[in-house]
Amino acid sequence: MKRTVDVNIPLGPIHPCFKEPARLKCETRGERVIGAEVELGYMKKGIERIMKGRPWQEVMFLAERVCGICSVIHNMVFIEAIEKISGIEVPPRAALLRVIANELDRMQSHMLANFSYCYTIEHETLAMYLLDIREQVMDELERLTGARVTCAYIVPGGVRCDIRNEDRDTLSASLDRIEHDLHRYAKMFETGPMIALRSKGIGILTEESALQAHVVGPTARASGIAVDMRTNHPTYRKLNFAPVVRHGCDNYARVMVRFDELSASIGLIRQSLRALSPGVIRGGGICKAGTLRYSGEAPRGELTYSITTDEYGRVAEIQIQTPSIMNIEACCHYMIIGVDSIADVTSAFVSADPCIACTER
Amino acid sequence: MTEWLYEQDLVSQKYRILIAHEHDQLIRALASDLGVSVQELRRYMIEHIDMILLENIPARYKAAVAAGADADDPVARELGRDIFSRGIPLIPNQQMEEILKKIKERIEAGSPVPEAVAAGKAMVREVILR
Amino acid sequence: MTLLQRIKDLVRSRSIHVSYVDVGSCNGCDIEILACLAPRYDIEQYGIYVHNNPREADVLLVVGAFTLGWEEKLKMVWDKIPEPKAAIAIGNCPISGGVFDRRGSYVDPPVSKHIPIAAEVPGCPPRPTEILSAILSIRDTVFAGWEVKQR
Repeated sequence: MKRTVDVNIPLGPIHPCFKEPARLKCETRGERVIGAEVELGYMKKGIERIMKGRPWQEVMFLAERVCGICSVIHNMVFIEAIEKISGIEVPPRAALLRVIANELDRMQSHMLANFSYCYTIEHETLAMYLLDIREQVMDELERLTGARVTCAYIVPGGVRCDIRNEDRDTLSASLDRIEHDLHRYAKMFETGPMIALRSKGIGILTEESALQAHVVGPTARASGIAVDMRTNHPTYRKLNFAPVVRHGCDNYARVMVRFDELSASIGLIRQSLRALSPGVIRGGGICKAGTLRYSGEAPRGELTYSITTDEYGRVAEIQIQTPSIMNIEACCHYMIIGVDSIADVTSAFVSADPCIACTER
Repeated sequence: MTEWLYEQDLVSQKYRILIAHEHDQLIRALASDLGVSVQELRRYMIEHIDMILLENIPARYKAAVAAGADADDPVARELGRDIFSRGIPLIPNQQMEEILKKIKERIEAGSPVPEAVAAGKAMVREVILR
Repeated sequence: MTLLQRIKDLVRSRSIHVSYVDVGSCNGCDIEILACLAPRYDIEQYGIYVHNNPREADVLLVVGAFTLGWEEKLKMVWDKIPEPKAAIAIGNCPISGGVFDRRGSYVDPPVSKHIPIAAEVPGCPPRPTEILSAILSIRDTVFAGWEVKQR
């Protein structure tokens, strides 16, 4: 956009607060931000172009590498889309194991997001506490799936490996421990006077502008929009899942929604562990041709895969709509407009949990 | 325009966003709706819209359609007021309102609705091709 | 080796400032670098301090297959780092392009085409302990006796 402005402050691409390269050009008048423009292109790898014409066995691993933080959900949505197209049934035990892996992934992602936020507002103690319990979640994820980040746990018709009985006990024991710590840290955040000063009433995203930019995930749920794709998922429905909604619309609400969702995830994992009945973890089937648009709830919000496959199970056409696209757009065009100082831009940006790797693919 | 530090030409990178499957389909549909060529619309978007908004265009379009854009005003809906000014901010709100006002005057003066809407689309086209 | 050199080596071995730059990864290696900050790995007990300022860094961690947006910029970041300096490629992507180096993609690996790379840590992604040991090995091989090697 070509415009003449008084002073513009570029943030990034390398910035101590941003984990990933993005460039925010803030137009300011005095200390107030009146507009912002985002410059991307530092992470455009063209994954969708690589995916075209490849069999699902290869695309599965590429889908996982769209985003390293929420790799399990990318894997899950892609595989479930393939299953829906081909009419492959999933055994109940495998469906529950998928939920466990997905919720563990969501937990580590939310902890990382809250870590980043606390780190950005310079509350390093809480940040390090959160990073410490995140390592425990990563351990559980590794014990279940065999890898820390890119685990390729979910395959068409089921999951790759079963959970052993002793691992189940370890998982529930460590969930108890994590919940105890998490409760304490959430209280620290909720009642911390300096945190409240730095977070409440900053980065306001009203419900109206959230709807206009099609905001999803915790960012939308903090603005009072009860949108969660997990309510449409059959396995989650069996577990009586209900989304967490807050009406604060500010940074504080967004971080608290993530804290609340962490507790909800622990509840979901416990429920799934209880509901786990013995049985097979792999079904069978043949991948067929078809077209489908399928959504799942990533840690950051609604993740949509539009896939067309051919009769050999190859991906003919694919488009991935990741949640960060919508959230970063809302963040840069609504949330940071009118913040009182340029110092609040980074915290508002980080509170939306931006993931540039997702955005650009 | 103010000079940016480390400014680089973003046209090729913005173009890469626009040639993704869903973006391409949407832009083709919009271009045929407005009666401009796809290349012209792409050029206009690259010049006027920043990168994150370009990425978000399909989602914003769907959100605008799902929210029932201009459900209460059939003329505005035919013209696509909400979609072209709020959903996909191609044209500033004010300019769109002016175009709408001109069309409504024409309809009041007795010209049939499809003709007036076509005239409105021509005005939108003029903004894009300018 | 002079006394001054030994003092320099001693000081440098306990003070390594790390900056990381993401040139188009999937974020997997990024978060493994962040995990290094966790109290479990306790990166600061080795005197390693992670921040994102190239101007005061000693070690640059490069993550990701090289995307076209970084073409001139990575060299600029590298030039800003004061000597002695070293770059470490983290993960498969900066080494070979990994899964992204296919026809039709927008990446231009390896990173060693653009800046000199002193060490490579393969893995998709490597574990935090591997990243940590790579930084520590750089300390012993590149920074120790640096002035002597320059002569």
